[in-house]
Amino acid sequence: MGLFSNWDLKPRDYDKIVDQKLPNAEKVLNESQYDTKLGLNMARDARKVINGSMKIDDFHKVYSSSLTMEFGSYYASDTPDTKKTNKGPKWVMVIDLQKCIGCDTCTVSCKAENRTPPGISYNVVMESLEGEFPNIKAMNLPRPCMQCDKPACAQVCPTRATYKMENGIVVIDNDRCIGCRYCIVACPYGARSFDFGDSYEQEMTGYNDVTSPEYGVERGERKKGKTPIGTVRKCSFCFHRLQRGEEPACVETCIGDARFFGDINDPNSVVSKLAASPRAFRLKEELGTQPSVIYLR
Amino acid sequence: MSNLALKLEHKSTKSTDTKVFKIWISALTVAFLAGGYFIVERMITGLSATNLSSITPWGAWIAFYIFFVGLSAGSFLLSTLIYVFGMEEYERIGKAALFTAIVCMIVALTFVLMDLGRPERLMNAIIYWNVTSPLGWEVHFYLVYIALLMVELYIAMREDLVRAANTNTLKGFVARLLTSKNSTINTLTKKRDHMWMKILGTIGIPIAILGVHGGTGTIFAMVKARPAWNTAIFPIIFVVSAMVSGTALLLAMYVIKRKVQKKPIDQKMIISLSKLMAGFLIIDLGLQFYEYLTGWYGLEIEHLDTLATMMASDLSWSFWGVQMFLGAVVPLTIVFWKKTNQNINALLVAAILIVVGIIGVRFNIVVPSLIVPVFHELPWGDYFPTVKEWMVSVGVVAMGLLIYSIGELLLPIEETSEEVSHNGK
Repeated sequence: MGLFSNWDLKPRDYDKIVDQKLPNAEKVLNESQYDTKLGLNMARDARKVINGSMKIDDFHKVYSSSLTMEFGSYYASDTPDTKKTNKGPKWVMVIDLQKCIGCDTCTVSCKAENRTPPGISYNVVMESLEGEFPNIKAMNLPRPCMQCDKPACAQVCPTRATYKMENGIVVIDNDRCIGCRYCIVACPYGARSFDFGDSYEQEMTGYNDVTSPEYGVERGERKKGKTPIGTVRKCSFCFHRLQRGEEPACVETCIGDARFFGDINDPNSVVSKLAASPRAFRLKEELGTQPSVIYLR
Repeated sequence: MSNLALKLEHKSTKSTDTKVFKIWISALTVAFLAGGYFIVERMITGLSATNLSSITPWGAWIAFYIFFVGLSAGSFLLSTLIYVFGMEEYERIGKAALFTAIVCMIVALTFVLMDLGRPERLMNAIIYWNVTSPLGWEVHFYLVYIALLMVELYIAMREDLVRAANTNTLKGFVARLLTSKNSTINTLTKKRDHMWMKILGTIGIPIAILGVHGGTGTIFAMVKARPAWNTAIFPIIFVVSAMVSGTALLLAMYVIKRKVQKKPIDQKMIISLSKLMAGFLIIDLGLQFYEYLTGWYGLEIEHLDTLATMMASDLSWSFWGVQMFLGAVVPLTIVFWKKTNQNINALLVAAILIVVGIIGVRFNIVVPSLIVPVFHELPWGDYFPTVKEWMVSVGVVAMGLLIYSIGELLLPIEETSEEVSHNGK
């Protein structure tokens, strides 16, 4: 390192430091009773497997014969089953309407979490009264995005900017969306909103300082003409929170504990059990959209 | 002496002609510049310039877009009546019909551009084409359709271009640019041009009916979230009302142009064209009647709400006043009443009213369905176009009329030869 060189350590420099601290692989392996060369080669290829330039199946193919020769009956490993038997989670929300008290906490926490501008609420509670006084019944129906299995919005999007992920969430690629609003028209649940660029800056200083990291994309300051302004927005089951291992904001803050969130692929999960209840129903099921939000009546 | 008088008269009409044209062009330029200011403002401020919301996401611009797509498809289909089905009595307006179709498509696509939240990403609809999206298909159909129209117009104009290339006018200069030096007109080329017109017109018919206009209808008909749109008859109504508006527009344009130029008007053609227009309008009304009847009889709450918004709310003047009275009752009376059905001025009024009525039809398609929310508990939409939206629309329409006027100045779109060519036969 010279006088004028940059004193910041680069990743390569850390590698060097680590290499210095590591024991000499050849020396260590020589001390063992097994083949040194085989060990070194396997270590090299194992790194390739980890960085993705080699398939695990190929790794096993190359080494299984020499490993059997070396270790004999002690070697018992076979190629791991890489075919997907477990597809990973498919997120589902269950909302127990008997527990919902209509406090709108979910709406507020959603607004705070996703920093949605005026006129946009990913989650609303639809309140209605049934019957005639005095025999009335209040009905609270929280409505996030249904994350349909057959989403009408994704069907009509001309640019494939909105699509269904394997984990069940219908996402919007705000960098691709042209803002034609066809999806808003086509959504039978009114779950989509257009970002007209309004702001709470007048009422709340610092509102524009940061955009919610929806879908895990950091967008920084909210500015005129900057994405997601001019595009369509919707509930993402708080995907950015799921990535951190947290539940969606509405589920976490629900006062009556009316919302449940989990993996429907796991038959033992709470949501799977609740979804099997005879109380379970979904909104506008006749449209064939197959929502992932299940209500308990 | 009499010859001289004739010549003088010809000259004087010509000078008034250019005067009227100058006034027309300057009026259009003023309208375009006024609208242009708001177009620029809209591009800077985004869609907050409109009264749209997430409940009513589509409004005036989408209504105008489908209106102009309809005009385009309608005038194109009329041109096919001439070039494919050999209805020679309408040949005087054949090229004007094709050029109108092109200009209307340009205006329609400009309205779409105005309506996009992110106009700069327009190309995404082509780059990332989603094959399940009716809108994605439409964008492609529109481009193919415009290309086809341009080729067809060129072939239709070819003879006149070759003829004009010998003259020393502005038209001649443009014609020389567009034709090769050794283009000639003889029976062989006449036959060839005629054949190509027929082939292109025949290809164009399914593209215009199924692709462009029926397709624009499917944009709405495919939306199961809106029961008032989600009917199989919807795209058909679109095509039929396109025919209505296209015929009416061409009739009106022909009469107005002839009147301004003080040229004789082909009364027989006008009367038969007005009958055609009325026929289309009656079919259109019949289809609409069944559409509303099934919706009403179905008693589906959202559908009833939509019909109520259209026919019995603050906005119902648009349905009863514009769509039904001005756009249907008055023109039908004019066309079928003995006292008026031979009068060109009355028929002109009928045609203009029909065009205005179809604008009402388009608004009544887009707005009422989107004012009714998808759940009863959600807020209802409250939409009426802002001044800015109207001004942008004025600007875009003025742009279209400017393109048309300049195109007519530079290209031999009007039938120049006094004698109609009778399909090259």
